[in-house]
This record gives sequence, C-alpha cells and structure tokens, in this order.
Amino acid sequence: MSLGTLDRSPPPFFKQGASAFSKLLLFSAIALFLMVADSRFSVTQPLRAALATALYPVQWLAMQPVRAVRAVGDYLTTLESAKTESQEASTKLLAQALRASQVEQLTLENKRLRILLDLREQLKVEGMAAEVLYDAADPYTRKVIISKGMASGIALGSPVIDESGVLGQVTRVHPLVSEVTLIIDRDLAIPVLNVRTGVRSLAFGDAAGGGGLELRFMGSNSDVLQGDLLTTSGVDGVYPPGLPVARIDRIERRAETAFARIHCIPLALVSGVRHVVVLAPQSSQIAPRPPESAPVTPVKKGGRS
Amino acid sequence: MIMRGVQQLLLPASPTFIWASLLAALLLDMLPFGRNPWMPDFMALVLVFWNVHQPQRIGIALAFLFGLGVDVHQTALLGQHALSYTALSFFATMIHRRLLWFPMSSQAIQVLPLFVVSHLVDLSIRLVNGDAFPGWSLLLAPIIEALLWPVVSVLLLAPQRRAPDPDENRPL
Repeated sequence: MSLGTLDRSPPPFFKQGASAFSKLLLFSAIALFLMVADSRFSVTQPLRAALATALYPVQWLAMQPVRAVRAVGDYLTTLESAKTESQEASTKLLAQALRASQVEQLTLENKRLRILLDLREQLKVEGMAAEVLYDAADPYTRKVIISKGMASGIALGSPVIDESGVLGQVTRVHPLVSEVTLIIDRDLAIPVLNVRTGVRSLAFGDAAGGGGLELRFMGSNSDVLQGDLLTTSGVDGVYPPGLPVARIDRIERRAETAFARIHCIPLALVSGVRHVVVLAPQSSQIAPRPPESAPVTPVKKGGRS
Repeated sequence: MIMRGVQQLLLPASPTFIWASLLAALLLDMLPFGRNPWMPDFMALVLVFWNVHQPQRIGIALAFLFGLGVDVHQTALLGQHALSYTALSFFATMIHRRLLWFPMSSQAIQVLPLFVVSHLVDLSIRLVNGDAFPGWSLLLAPIIEALLWPVVSVLLLAPQRRAPDPDENRPL
C-alpha cells in the first residue's frame, strides 16, 4: 500500500521540468567532463577549493565527537601510565643528551669544513606545525587532511614529517586545509639513501596497499640487509637530506627476476599520527640551473671552415 | 479528518527536515571511522529515500551536487561520486511510483540493485583510474545499505506520521 501525502498544493500536471533521463545524461556528461578535467588537465582546483571551504563547517562539526573522545581519553590517563611515559621520556632524553650537546660543535665544524672545501652552504629548513584532522575515508588511497592551508602559507609539494620520520608530501592545498599523500600511498615515490652503504634508490608505496614501502629496481645481488635504515637522499629538491624514512623489513630474492623484492616499514606513524610538521619545499632554495653553454658546432668531417 | 489505519495519509514533508536529514547524512559520512570498504554510504541512502518519497523536491541535480561534496571530502577524483549519485538518483526516480506499494522487506530487496549499481560505478571509475581493488568486503556495503533502508524509512517518515491536529492526548 502506498502512503498518500496530505500535500497542500497539488502536484503540477504540465510543468514537470526536464525528464529524468535527460537530466541523467546531462549530469553524467558534466561528471565525466569534471573527471577528465581533474585527472588529465588539473584545472578543477578552484572548484575543489571552493567546495572544500564550503564543506569546512560540516567537517568541523564531524570532528567534534572525535576531539571530545580524545580530550576525555587524555583526561582519564592514569597516574601509572603518566609515570611510565615520563620515565620513558627521560630515558630518551638521556640517550639523546650526548648527541645533542655535540650538535653545536659539529655544526661549527661542518660549516668550517664546508668553507674549507668550498662546498655550497647547507639548505635551511623551516617548518610549521599542523594537526591531522582526519584520515581520508577513501579505502583506495592513503591520504590525511591537515589543519593548515593556503591561509597559513602551505605550499604545494611541501614535505611533511612527524617526530620519527618522513610522513608524506602535500599534494593539494585548499584555503583552510591541505591534503597530504602518505609515503605508503602507491602513487608516491620518495628518493632514499641506504645509510649503511650509501646507495641511492627509490622507495614506492606498496602496490598491494599493505601499509609498507617497496624498494624497486634493486638488483638481486645488491647489497641490502634486513634492518638497514633508509633516509631521504636530498637529490629530488623536495625533501631535505638525512630525514629517516623507513627500515628494511624483508628481502625476497628470486631466481626468475633480475630484481629483488625489498619490503620496508615506514618509521613515521603513518596510521594514527596527530601532529605533524610541514617543511618548506627545498626547490625554492636550490640554485637555478646553470645556463646552457653555447652549443658547440660540430666540425664537419673533411670540411674546411 | 484523517483516518488512522489502513489508508493513512501523511503530513507534507517539511523542506527544513529534508535538508537537515541530508546534511546529517553528509555529517555521518564524514565521521572519521577509518578506511573501511564495507562502510555504508549514508548519503546515498538518504538521497534514494527522498528521491523516492519527494521526487518533486529532491532530484538528480541535488544528488550530483552532494556527490561533488563527498568527492572533495574523500579527496577522490572530482565527479566520481557525483556520477554514481546521479545514476542512483535516476534509478530511484524510475522506481519511485512502484516501490512504495510493496511491504518494507520487499522494498529493501528492490533498492539493493540501486546501491550495487552505485558502488559498481564507483569501483569501475577507480579501476579505470588505476587504483587497486580495496578488498571483497566492499560487497558488504550495498547489502548493509539495503538492510538500513527500513530503519531510514521509519526514521525519516516519523515527522510526517504525526497527528495533524495535536491535542493534549496526542502532543506529537
């Protein structure tokens, strides 16, 4: 039985508007156009930014229960766990004290040596703290949304780190928030350096989406060991050199392929991170490419000129 | 005088309530539950509901716009949810005259293909775009949505089932 409605105005008989099918065609066409424009020509950024700003109040509202739960959780931390944490922190501090006290001297020494060897000054790194608002609820990609955007001066392509390593890269900037693609996303690659051997390579997000990294294009006889630390190599002009990225977890050498499958575990807290630091991209500080020297005119064989 | 019972007439739906329910569904979709492929899409559910019950007010255009909003929130390709919601809304408009003559359990079975189509559109766009398959638990999403259909129907029709002439015995 259908339920009748006691509407006060009768439904229009003749003014029905466009038919549902024509509407379907129209909006499907617009959607397809938007998808092509977004993936191929990336011209939809203004529309996306406007929508993101319009959605911000709703997102803010959706965040409130999470914040409340976190606040209650923080408040209810027991004395026991607070004590443990404080003890861990002081142990960590002691372990770092020696290195920290040497930093000043090493920095000075490094500077003098660089002048002595006539090397370029090391790049300065500036950072800005931000809070992670939410993990993108998209099961297909690995992204987080952070609470700083264009209004705070976040630049596209900035590297993002947390307290233990590189987390990812800013891939979209909206007026109030930005999207960070994590290093474990399958579309992100990061140039790394094996600290033990000094070999540079590329780490990609795990294609299977297992939450790890994969070191690709390493020959099956290459010198890698389980537990090797990978840091950023700094050759890309995006990430500053020397930031820890991942640790090698598992190496599969197979007879049928020329490459080894090398799985790494990211050092940053890729799931459940709350506070991050957005660094300024290094490309702004890198010296411009030297002008091409005048092409040498090839001497014709046997010709006199 | 409105008769209760066999031929129950509903009060007109208030536009404020329709919009509030749509925004609430958007809010539910935005709650950070994590990345679960089986998570039901509340927005799709509420859009189908209003498309079936109020096709004059909530149509394909609005579904498209809400789809764009979900795309931006999920950092997905712009237009992907817009397309799947457009298809969803079109099929809901197609079946809206027939669907309400059935009992609630049959309605749930009849809206299941709609949600399956919507998720299929979504999945095929992802796969064409080069994303990995997120796992078979994705199949659960349309089923959960269809199971939620009776719940949503009761909840969203409740304001229209109120008494037309509230008195002391029937304040609501």
